[in-house]
Amino acid sequence: MTTLISMNGVGKVYPRVHRPWERMRAFASILAGHEPKDGAQVLTDIDLEVVRGQSLGIIGENGAGKSTLLKVMTGVIQPSRGTVRVNTSIAALLELGAGFQPEFSGLDNVRMSASIMGMSNTMVEQRMDEILAFADIGEYIHEPVKHYSSGMVVRLAFAVVTASRPEVLITDEVLAVGDESFQKKCIRWIERFLEDGGTLLMVSHSMYIVQKLCQRALWIHHGKIQQYGEVFPVTQSYLAWHEGRATEEKRLRDARRGEGGQYRIRKLELPGHDDGSGPGLRMGEDLHASLTLYSPDGRPPVVHVGIIRIDGTPVYGVTSDTDGAHPVKVDDHHFRYTIRFAAPGLLPGSYHLRGLAMDPEGIRVFDTQERLFQVNGNSIDVGIVRLDHEWEDPGSS
Amino acid sequence: MTGGNTKKADLAFFRNLVQRQIRQDYLENITGFAWLVLQPLILLAVYAFVFTTIFKSRIPDSEVGFVAYLAVAFWPWTAFSESILKATHSITGNAALIGKVAFATEQLPLAMVCATFLMNMIGYVAVLLVLQLIGTDIHWLYLPLAIPVLVLLCLLACSIALFTSAIQVFVKDTGQILPPLMTLWFFMTPILYSPAQLPAGLANVMAWNPMNWFVFQLRELLLFGRINAGLTEVLTLLGVVALAALFLAFFRRFSGHFEDFF
Repeated sequence: MTTLISMNGVGKVYPRVHRPWERMRAFASILAGHEPKDGAQVLTDIDLEVVRGQSLGIIGENGAGKSTLLKVMTGVIQPSRGTVRVNTSIAALLELGAGFQPEFSGLDNVRMSASIMGMSNTMVEQRMDEILAFADIGEYIHEPVKHYSSGMVVRLAFAVVTASRPEVLITDEVLAVGDESFQKKCIRWIERFLEDGGTLLMVSHSMYIVQKLCQRALWIHHGKIQQYGEVFPVTQSYLAWHEGRATEEKRLRDARRGEGGQYRIRKLELPGHDDGSGPGLRMGEDLHASLTLYSPDGRPPVVHVGIIRIDGTPVYGVTSDTDGAHPVKVDDHHFRYTIRFAAPGLLPGSYHLRGLAMDPEGIRVFDTQERLFQVNGNSIDVGIVRLDHEWEDPGSS
Repeated sequence: MTGGNTKKADLAFFRNLVQRQIRQDYLENITGFAWLVLQPLILLAVYAFVFTTIFKSRIPDSEVGFVAYLAVAFWPWTAFSESILKATHSITGNAALIGKVAFATEQLPLAMVCATFLMNMIGYVAVLLVLQLIGTDIHWLYLPLAIPVLVLLCLLACSIALFTSAIQVFVKDTGQILPPLMTLWFFMTPILYSPAQLPAGLANVMAWNPMNWFVFQLRELLLFGRINAGLTEVLTLLGVVALAALFLAFFRRFSGHFEDFF
């Protein structure tokens, strides 16, 4: 495996440059060759190796440092510390159409941006037909770019990239622009590029695209590498964190509700799923849950058990009394319900198992408890649960 | 850092930059290409009127008329000064490109200087032709010797532009401070006058101005048909090359950090 890009202990500090004296101080620190004293620490201790043929998705929330990482990697900006070594030709698409001159025709701009990407003039002329075919904007190519729609700019810019035949393609959210058919065209092109042994680094907020195009994923959080590895575990834990953060407050509110009630949930367990790193199960595995409830008057309370996706979408809920289920009496005041969901078919992601303690009549809710669990797997099916299905096989009829 | 970008491709990019600049600044104006030649000629006519008819300026001990004496030095100066002033803004003016694409940013000021120089040289040739037509003997045979002098002047402009365009990123007033400084430099250089008209003490001090050498060489070659080659020429050549190397190193030190300051 050839290492194409390697980063060692890379950090980036953007100096404070709002006031003139701050600018002068930042200027002096560059001249002296050391890091700015104060400023925004955007990247910290990034170690990364990109080998030939790898496809890496870079994910993280807004402002995490993803774009800065790409800029440092492509040499658009210098890191404040650490080293970046690149031994390959990179086509960096940090922004489609950057450097297009609006007054000039599409053709002129193609020549210009092709030469920025390292194509000689003869090479551009040889590949011009290819570029025009990919961009597919017809006679507009002779018009000034200022008359183009934003979609046309993007098509033309991407067409130049395809013609530059880079070893490494770096894209920053560029697939988010352009219409549906253009996006598909780009994805098809990238897939073929990868099949032919190309190397891809992409920043995207679409986990679907990352999972579709990338083998590995890098999660950047507050300028540091949070997780790096196979695409599915990384994207799943990123989503879990992201969704979890959004529902954190709601969860706390829910947990507080029912305090002071009489019927309480003492324990909520997922036996057999806890391997030390938090409860998790493989997709398609049975889900076991055990709930121990407190009853002040010794009568067996009713329990409601539900599964909620971490963003709050209910998946399924069931109440013990409507099913005619009875608890095991642990002692005078404690009752235990055990439930098994047979192969629930939950798609990979994070879920809550929620237990509600109700009075023996099953009318009022007194307490709510939740337990987070993960479903692990490599499915890229869409939705919440996998529905049993079969495809008609034309060969069998 | 640009990885596999070949020298050939860099050259293609540079050529495209120069061509684009020329088209933008000269060829796509309403008055078009003709203006390029007309403007210097009109200016020359104005100077001729002001300095010979109103001020009655004479160049002492010289058989060459004042207009020719002025014109031969004035156009190279214009190319020099204009190219530096324009190139100073070439980094800040291309901020959007620099933050998004990896390329050797020094090409921006260098292309601006070269484009401005090339265009002004067309005007220069026009001026020389007109001087010949109105009766001044231009020593055309020495033109091939004047070209290296002009190239060296262009190199000096390139090195200063590298410095000023980088400084402009950090000190935004550079673009405002520079024009009066260039005007000062213009008057400190014997363009409107002859060094012989200066008091001896002052002339010795002002001889350190590197522009003196360029003005002197161009007049000697094109107006008087005299070749001056000695230690001064070697030292000037070495000096300009050293300055170019120094300012290129300075520029490259900062070029990876421009984006921090936009």
